[in-house]
Amino acid sequence: MTENAALLLPILFPVLAGLVVFGLHRPKSREIYVSAVLVLGALSAFWLCFQPDSHFTIWQLTDNISLALRIDGFGRFFVCLTSVIWVLVGVYAFEYIRHEGRDERFFAFYVMTFGVLMGVGFAGNLITLYLFYEFMTLITVPLVIHTGTKEAVAAGMKYLGYSVFGAGLALLGFFFLSPSLKTMDFVPGGVLDPAKTAGREPLLLVVFLLIMVGFGCKAGMMPLQAWLPTAHPVAPAPASGVLSGIITKAGVLAIVRVTYYIYGADFIRGTWVQYTMLTLTLCTVFAGSMLAYKEKLLKKRLAWSSVSQVSYVLFGLMLLTPAGFLGALLQIVFHAVAKNILFLCAGAIIYKTHKTYTYELAGMGKKMPVVMWCFALASLSLIGIPPTAGFVSKWYLAMGALTPELGAWGVVGAAVLLVSALLTAGYLLPVVAEGFFPGKDFDFAKLKKSEPGPGMTVPLILLAAAAVLLGMFPGPLSAFIQSLCGSLL
Amino acid sequence: MGKFLLAFLVFFPFAAALAGYLTGRRSKAGRDALVQASCLLELLAALGLAGSLGASFSWEGFCGLGLHFAADGFRLTMAVLTAFIWLLTTISSKEYFAAAHNRNRYYLFLLMTLGSTMGIFLSSDLYTTFVFFEVMSFTSWVMVAQEETPDAKKASGTYLGVAVLGGLVTLMGLFLLYSRTGTLEMSALTGLAAQTADKGPLYAAGVLILVGFGVKAGMYPLHIWLPDSYVAAPAPATALLSAVLSKAGVFGILAVSCNIFLHDAPWGDLILVLAVLTMVTGAVLAVFSANLKRTLACSSMSQIGFILVGVAMQCLLGEENALAVGGSMLHLLNHSLIKTALFMAAGVVFLNLGTFDLNRLRGFGRKKPLLMFVFLMGILGVTGVPLWNGYVSKTLIHESIVEYIAAAGLSAGQAAYYRWVEWLFLISGGLTVAYMTKIFVALFVEKNPTEQQRYDGMKRYVSRPTAVVLAVSAAILPVLGMTPGLTMDSIAGLCRGFMNGEAPAHAVEYFSLTNLKGAAISIAIGAAVYLLLVRPLLMKKQPDGSWAYLDRWPRWLNLEYGLYRPVLLKILPFLGALAARFACSLVDWAVAGLRALLFWKAPEKVEPPTDDYFGVYPERPHPHTISNSLAYSLLLFGIGLSITLLYLLFC
Repeated sequence: MTENAALLLPILFPVLAGLVVFGLHRPKSREIYVSAVLVLGALSAFWLCFQPDSHFTIWQLTDNISLALRIDGFGRFFVCLTSVIWVLVGVYAFEYIRHEGRDERFFAFYVMTFGVLMGVGFAGNLITLYLFYEFMTLITVPLVIHTGTKEAVAAGMKYLGYSVFGAGLALLGFFFLSPSLKTMDFVPGGVLDPAKTAGREPLLLVVFLLIMVGFGCKAGMMPLQAWLPTAHPVAPAPASGVLSGIITKAGVLAIVRVTYYIYGADFIRGTWVQYTMLTLTLCTVFAGSMLAYKEKLLKKRLAWSSVSQVSYVLFGLMLLTPAGFLGALLQIVFHAVAKNILFLCAGAIIYKTHKTYTYELAGMGKKMPVVMWCFALASLSLIGIPPTAGFVSKWYLAMGALTPELGAWGVVGAAVLLVSALLTAGYLLPVVAEGFFPGKDFDFAKLKKSEPGPGMTVPLILLAAAAVLLGMFPGPLSAFIQSLCGSLL
Repeated sequence: MGKFLLAFLVFFPFAAALAGYLTGRRSKAGRDALVQASCLLELLAALGLAGSLGASFSWEGFCGLGLHFAADGFRLTMAVLTAFIWLLTTISSKEYFAAAHNRNRYYLFLLMTLGSTMGIFLSSDLYTTFVFFEVMSFTSWVMVAQEETPDAKKASGTYLGVAVLGGLVTLMGLFLLYSRTGTLEMSALTGLAAQTADKGPLYAAGVLILVGFGVKAGMYPLHIWLPDSYVAAPAPATALLSAVLSKAGVFGILAVSCNIFLHDAPWGDLILVLAVLTMVTGAVLAVFSANLKRTLACSSMSQIGFILVGVAMQCLLGEENALAVGGSMLHLLNHSLIKTALFMAAGVVFLNLGTFDLNRLRGFGRKKPLLMFVFLMGILGVTGVPLWNGYVSKTLIHESIVEYIAAAGLSAGQAAYYRWVEWLFLISGGLTVAYMTKIFVALFVEKNPTEQQRYDGMKRYVSRPTAVVLAVSAAILPVLGMTPGLTMDSIAGLCRGFMNGEAPAHAVEYFSLTNLKGAAISIAIGAAVYLLLVRPLLMKKQPDGSWAYLDRWPRWLNLEYGLYRPVLLKILPFLGALAARFACSLVDWAVAGLRALLFWKAPEKVEPPTDDYFGVYPERPHPHTISNSLAYSLLLFGIGLSITLLYLLFC
C-alpha cells in the first residue's frame, strides 16, 4: 500500500486553522474565515476519499505500536458524512451562536473538532483510534459547556467522566487483547491470530464485551448512556446537533472497527456475547424511546431519542448479517441527518421565541413554516414512514434480524424496533400536530412571522431534502455499503 | 402508453398538489380551477387506462425494493371510481370551503391523498401498497384535522395514532412475510397458504398485515377512530374517507385474502367473524346515533362489514366462489357511490344549518326536491331495495352464504353456525333500513317545531355546480340497479381476475322470487325495528308536544375511552417508563454511591472553639464540581489499572 502524507492534511489543517479563530473578533471576517476553513477541510477530505486505498505512518513507537492513518471504505463513509454535516451545521451556527455570545471560542473548538474527527475516521490502527477518540472527547467539552451556566458545567463534567471511563474500559480491553493479535492494524475480517487465541476464547469474549460497553458509552448504549440526555440538551443547538448526529457515531465507528476489523464477525457470531449485545441494544432502543416519550423538554426529548436511535445502529451491527450491516450503516446516515434537523429546528425555535417545552409550541407551524416543515419531515424519517429515509434503514435492519439463524431473537428484535417507532411517533407527532393545528381559536391577527434568516433555513432545507431523497433513492448509498460489506461478512 | 398512464396517475397529483399550492398563494380562483382541472385530467387518464390493460410499470430501487404498478380490470375500476369521486367532491369543495381558513393546505393534501390512493389501487406488490398506504394515512390526517375545532383535533389525533399503530403492525407482518418468501409481488404470492406446510407463521404474518388494512377499513375492533373522524372532517373529505379511503383498506384485505390465503377456509372463518362483528356493531351504533353524519359514518362501517362478509365467503367457498367475488366487488363499488352522494348531501345540510343534530335539522328537507331526490336514491341504494344498486350486491353476498350452507361437507353444527351468520346478515340489512328511515323521516317528513318557516324559506340552499354534482352522483344509483345484467355483471367480470375468482356457471336471476325474499325479510325487520324500537325507545316527547331524538348509547360503553386509551396511553407507558427509568438509573445510582464514598468524611462544620487562643477556622470550601469529577475519573482509571496489574500478576 502506498504511503500518502496528504492524509495529515484534513486533520492538521482544521486543528491549526482553528487556533487562529480565537483571534478573529470581527464577525464578518470570522464567518468568512471559518466557512473557508470548513469548506477547504471538507474538500481535502473528499479529495482523499477519492484516492485509492493508502496508508501513512506518523510515528513508529515500537515494533508493533505505531500511529498510523489509512484510507479505507468505512473510513470514507464516516469522513464524507461528517464533512457534509459539519459544513451545513457550521453555516447554521453563524447566526445562532450570536445570541449565545463568545463566538470565537465556539467556532475555534468547532473547527478543531472537525480535524480530530477526520483523525478518528482515518485512524489506521487501534492505538491511533484511541488517541483521536480521547482527543475528541476533550475537545468537545468546551462545546458542551459553552453557555457557561452551572448546569452546563456540571453536564460537561458528567460527559467527561463517562467518556473517559468508557474509553478507559476500551483501553483496558486492548491490553488484554493485544497478545492475541497478528497486528494492531484494521483488516477487514479481523486480525485475531488463531495460534494465539486457542484456549483463550472465553477471555477474549469477555474483553469484547468490555470494549463494546466502553465505546458504547459514546454511542449512548446502556449501561453507560446516562451522560447523553444530560449533556446534549445543555449545549448550544448546533453543538447538540453534531454531538447527537456525528459524535455518537464515532462510538459506533470504534465498535465497527473492533467488531469487523479486529475480531471479525465469525468470532462473535452465535456466542453469548452477541446475544448479550443484542439484549443491551434492544433495551436501549426501548428505554430511550420510552423516556423520550415521557420527557417534556424538547431538546432533552431529542437527546433521549438519540439514545434510542443510535442503538438501532448497534443492534444492526451486532446482528452480523449483511442486511443488518446495510441497515445499520444507512441508519448512521439517516439518523445523523434527521437528528441534526430536529436539533437545529429546536434551536431555531429557541433562538426566535425562547420556547423550550414541547407544550409551548402551539401554532409554531404558522410562525415559522419552513422550520416546522423541516421538523415534520425529519420526524417522519425518524419514525420510519415511507418514503422518507428512516423507513429504508428500518426495513433492512428488520430483514437482517429475521434470518433463520437468529430465530426468535430476530422476531423480538424487529418487534422492539417497531414498538420504538410507535413511541417515536408518540413523542414527535404531537409537536408537529400542535405546531400546524393550533386550533380554531388561534388568533391569526396576532400571528408574527418569525422565520429565521436564510443562514439558518438553507442548511435545514438541504438536510430535509436529503432526509426525503435519500429515502426515495437509497440505491447508490446502499450499493457503496454493500461493496464494503462484501469483505466484512 | 400503459406505463406512462400508470406513472401519470400516481405521480401527477403530487405535482399538481404543489402547483396548486404555489398558485393558491397568488390567486384563489386560479387554484380552484387548477385543482378541478387536475382531477378531471386524472379521471380522463384513468379512463384511458382501459385501453392498456395488462400494462405494468416499475420504478426499481425506489425506497429500496422499488415500486411496482399494474393495470388490470379491478385496478382500472378502482382508479376510475377514485378519480370520479375525487372530481365530484372537489367541485363541491369550492362551495363548502368558501369561507374557511387554510384552504390552500386543504387542497395541497387533497391532491396528495389522491396520488397516494391511486398508488395503492394500482400497486402490484404489497411493498408499494404499504408505501402509499402510509403516505395516504398522513396526508388524509391533515384533511381530518382541517377544521381545527377541539373535536377535530381530538378525532384527528386518534385517527393518526390508530393509523400509525396499524401501519407499524402491518409492517411487522410484511417483515415476516418477506423474510420467508423473498417477494411481496401479489401474483407471486397467489396460493401461498395452500403450498405451505407450516402455516403458523404465515397466519401470524397475515393477521399482522390485516391489522393495518383493517384499521383503514374500519373493521371491528379497530373501528374506534371512524365515527369521530368522519364527523369531525369536512363533508367533502368525509365523502372521500368513506367512499375511497376505506376501500384502500379493503383493497389490502383483498390482496391478502385473494392471494396468500386464496381459498383458505380457516382464514375465511377469521375474516367472517370480524366482518359480522363490524357489520352488526356499525348498524347498531347507527341506529342509536342522533346525528346525521354519525349515522352515515356508522353506516359506512356496517357496509364495510357486508363487503368483508363477501371476502370471507370467497375464502370459504373455494373454487365455487363466483357469487362472493361478484358480491364483494359490487358492494364495494356501490357503497362508494352511495356514500359519496349521501355525505355530500349531508354537507349541504351542514353548510346551511351548521349542525348535524337530527333534532335541529328536522324538517329542513321539506319542499327541497333535489335534496330529497339525492337522499332517497342513496337510502334506497344502501338499504338494498330492488331496482337500486345495493340490492344487487347484497343479494349476491346473501346467496353466497346460502350456497355455502347448502354445500356438502358441513356438519350440522357448522350449518347452524352459518345460518346464524345469514340471519345476522339479514338483521343488519334490517337495521340499515331502520336507521336510514330515521334519517329520512327526520329530514323530510317531520316538521321542525320552531324553525320550520325559516327552513321552508331557504330556497337557494345549494350552488349550481354542487347541485349538478349531487344529481349526477344520485342518478347513477338507480341506473346501475335497474340494469344489473348489463352494467354490474360486466364490472364484476372485469374485476374477477384480481380476486382469482371463477366465472359464474350461469347468469344470476336478480329479480327471482327467492332473491327478492331476502330483501323483503330485511325490509320487514327494518320496519319492525323502526316502529317498535326507534320511535318508542330512542325518541321522547318534549313538553311542547313534539318528539325529540335521544342518544341513548351508554357513555361508558366505548372501546376507545373505556379500553384503548387507558391501556395504551396510561397503563402501558407507565409500566414501560418505570422499567426504563429504573434500568437507566442503575449506573447513575452507582456513581452517586461512589461519589458519596469518595467524599465521605466527618461533618464539615467545625465548631468555633470557645477558647480565644485558638484561631477560628473557616468552613472548608465545598469541593468544586470539577475536582469532584476529576477525582472520580482518576479513581475509575486507577481501578482499571489495578485490575490490569492483578491480571498480569496472577494469570
